[in-house]
Amino acid sequence: MRKTKTLLITPVVFLSVFFVAPVANTVFRYFRFSEFSNVLSNESLSGVAWFSLWQAAISTLLTLVIALPATWALSRYTFRGSRVTRGILTAPFVLPAVVVAAGVLAITDSRGVIPILWAHVVFNVSVVIRIVSPRWSMVNLRLEHAAATLGARPTRTFASVVWPQISDAVISAATLVFIYCFTSFGVIAILGGISRRTLESEIFTQAVRLGNTETATALAVLQAIIIGAVFFITRRSSRPHSTSLHVSAPQPLHIKPNRRATPLIITATAVIIVASPLLATIYRSLVVNSQFSFSAWRLIFSGSLPALSVSPQSVIIASLVFAIATACICVPLALLVATASAPRALFSIPLAVSAATLGIGLIITFNTSPYAWRSERWFIPVIHAVIALPLVIRTLEPATHAIPASLRNASATLGASPFATWVQVELPLLKPALLRATGLSMAVSLGEFGATSFLSRSGSTTLPIAIAQLLGRPGVATQQAGFVLAALMVLVTVGVMSRA
Amino acid sequence: MKLTRTLITASLVLLATACSSSSPTTSTDATPNEVTLLAYDAFTPQEGIFDAFTATTGAKVKIVTGGDSGTLVSTAILTAGTPEGDVLWGLDNTLLSRAQKAELLTSYEPVDYGDICVNYDKQWFTSHKIPTPSSLEDLVLPAYRGLLVTQDPVASSPGLGFLLGTIAHFGIDDWQDFWTSLKTNGVHIAPDWTTAYTIDFSGSSGKGKYPLVVSYGSSPPAEVLYAEKQIDTPPTAVIESTCFRQTEYVGALRGTRNPKLAAQLISYLLDVPFQESMPLSLFVFPINKKATLPNLFTKFATAPKNPLTLDPADIETNRDAWLNTWRDIIL
Repeated sequence: MRKTKTLLITPVVFLSVFFVAPVANTVFRYFRFSEFSNVLSNESLSGVAWFSLWQAAISTLLTLVIALPATWALSRYTFRGSRVTRGILTAPFVLPAVVVAAGVLAITDSRGVIPILWAHVVFNVSVVIRIVSPRWSMVNLRLEHAAATLGARPTRTFASVVWPQISDAVISAATLVFIYCFTSFGVIAILGGISRRTLESEIFTQAVRLGNTETATALAVLQAIIIGAVFFITRRSSRPHSTSLHVSAPQPLHIKPNRRATPLIITATAVIIVASPLLATIYRSLVVNSQFSFSAWRLIFSGSLPALSVSPQSVIIASLVFAIATACICVPLALLVATASAPRALFSIPLAVSAATLGIGLIITFNTSPYAWRSERWFIPVIHAVIALPLVIRTLEPATHAIPASLRNASATLGASPFATWVQVELPLLKPALLRATGLSMAVSLGEFGATSFLSRSGSTTLPIAIAQLLGRPGVATQQAGFVLAALMVLVTVGVMSRA
Repeated sequence: MKLTRTLITASLVLLATACSSSSPTTSTDATPNEVTLLAYDAFTPQEGIFDAFTATTGAKVKIVTGGDSGTLVSTAILTAGTPEGDVLWGLDNTLLSRAQKAELLTSYEPVDYGDICVNYDKQWFTSHKIPTPSSLEDLVLPAYRGLLVTQDPVASSPGLGFLLGTIAHFGIDDWQDFWTSLKTNGVHIAPDWTTAYTIDFSGSSGKGKYPLVVSYGSSPPAEVLYAEKQIDTPPTAVIESTCFRQTEYVGALRGTRNPKLAAQLISYLLDVPFQESMPLSLFVFPINKKATLPNLFTKFATAPKNPLTLDPADIETNRDAWLNTWRDIIL
């Protein structure tokens, strides 16, 4: 087992340099106990903390209610359109909050709790599907059939056969969803109006708008404590992994014609909830003054953007280069961690820290030579990789854990070195999970708008920035162009996600 | 195992490409013939406008953008003295004092100005046969109930400008009453300019419910320039008496390695060619009196002779208290 520890050196050093150091720097420089107790005794700020908590709890519940049945349908059945369906359900994760929130707003026409919950569900259904689906598709169908043959009802089969095998993935996904909703920023900024604030949005306000770095740091520490507590609770309730002996591929639907309708209805419901705000985006890109028009699309495809001094091609290329670089950094690191079965808590820490805290840390840590990296172009994918890492580890872990030890032992008995076993036995089994992990890290990079928004950029406008810029200016044509870019992002990611 | 090898090779190649594409920026860091202009994201100068500067000084202008003006200034202040660039573009009169306190700049000068004003949807008022409001006082009349959308002044710079305008107009003791009446009269608060103007406002692309919106004095010409189909007159106009003056400053960052080039760049930004390029690229008015305005601006943009103003030092001293009071009234 000593060997597996050495695998962790690179990821640990990586996180220490690009995450622990900047965050510690922020806390040492700006944390004051007096400010912390001020924050705790401030009525309006504790109201913010309370709202963050309860909206996150309800968002998580709703997300699970909608996502789990769809996950079941998608992991167990393939049917006409199931790939596209998966694409639609998993695409929102990469979309900038401004796009999803504007889509929700176009439909609800009001702000407040319900639109917030809806937008959170749209974003997070993909998280549940991504994390639970690989695990669920590995649950051996024969075990279920055996249970059914022995007279167990479907609910009983689920409770005693399926749930024990997927529970850790579900809890892991639910924890992530809770934390994403708890630290929600972009959605709250647009749909919260002015009365609904989360700790994260308040941290941004204090740090960026009011220049109160000390208050912001105190709030960030409070937020980290709450998230730490959530991890602690879920870690204890998550059961040890059971190893599935047999990897069963998704079953073609026609094998069970009598149950064809159920998975279709379930996924259709989820798709309607998730896709309608996305359709609203596409609609806005096509309709000008209540008339159908392709003019904005034509403009973008002719290679120009109104008001911005960059071309759509360069925006797309910049986004893709960052996304690919992020995947190249993040996936190998995550694979090392997942293979070494490191304590998950250690590598979940980036989730507990507010994006603003990391952003401030990056600025004040990497500003003097020889570490003046904050304006380097490679720095952005590196930070994207830090942010994607916990999520990507969680995508890979269920798959690495599901590889039975007997396979490794057999390979060793046959004389293969551990490395050869890893390359020839484990990697091929991990291929689907690795592809998902790659897609996910690229997605995080494409949509990230938190910590790296504190970093300045030179000549590398990415899609979310371009969209925010275009939607942020007067003129029908500029806004149309913004919606076209958003719609393009929707279409391309649905396409990519349905292949991965 | 071919697949594995292909995958590994492919990722190495991609990584190398990604790295090599970023290497040019790493090597230019300390070269003296480059000057870095730090600006907010919305800084989109006319293409090629700095060519003349490069021709005379031999130095290229590298533009580094860092979020909106609030983010840019807050992050610049965190590392005041070890700046990321040489010249800062993006301070306005609401942020100036904060920058002064942190000694962010060694020198600064006003570079452009514009106004934050209530804009209205011309067609809405014509078709409803209601006269357009002409003053801040009008906005609380029953006739204009539920027609105005503005922005959260905490998060949005036009929202803050409008609040400061009302403070300048009604005075530090009476502005609260105005906002109480405005709330009773159904003012809608959007979180940011984008939502207010593109979704809630009826006069632009969103076709929302509110025919009155807080925006800029230069929004009407932008509606013409970026119209979907060519139009001669903007669908929107400005209520002049509601305008609050926003002046932007440009300054040399303390700790710059190129103080001489920084000074040269600042004078270039204040000189006529650049000043004349600003209206149609940045939608602001030139500060240099010698610069002539484009037709579109003289016809449709508004910059009143006597706009509402407040002293930057007063803004800095009172901003937090004003915002808290405002929240108490509105929430």
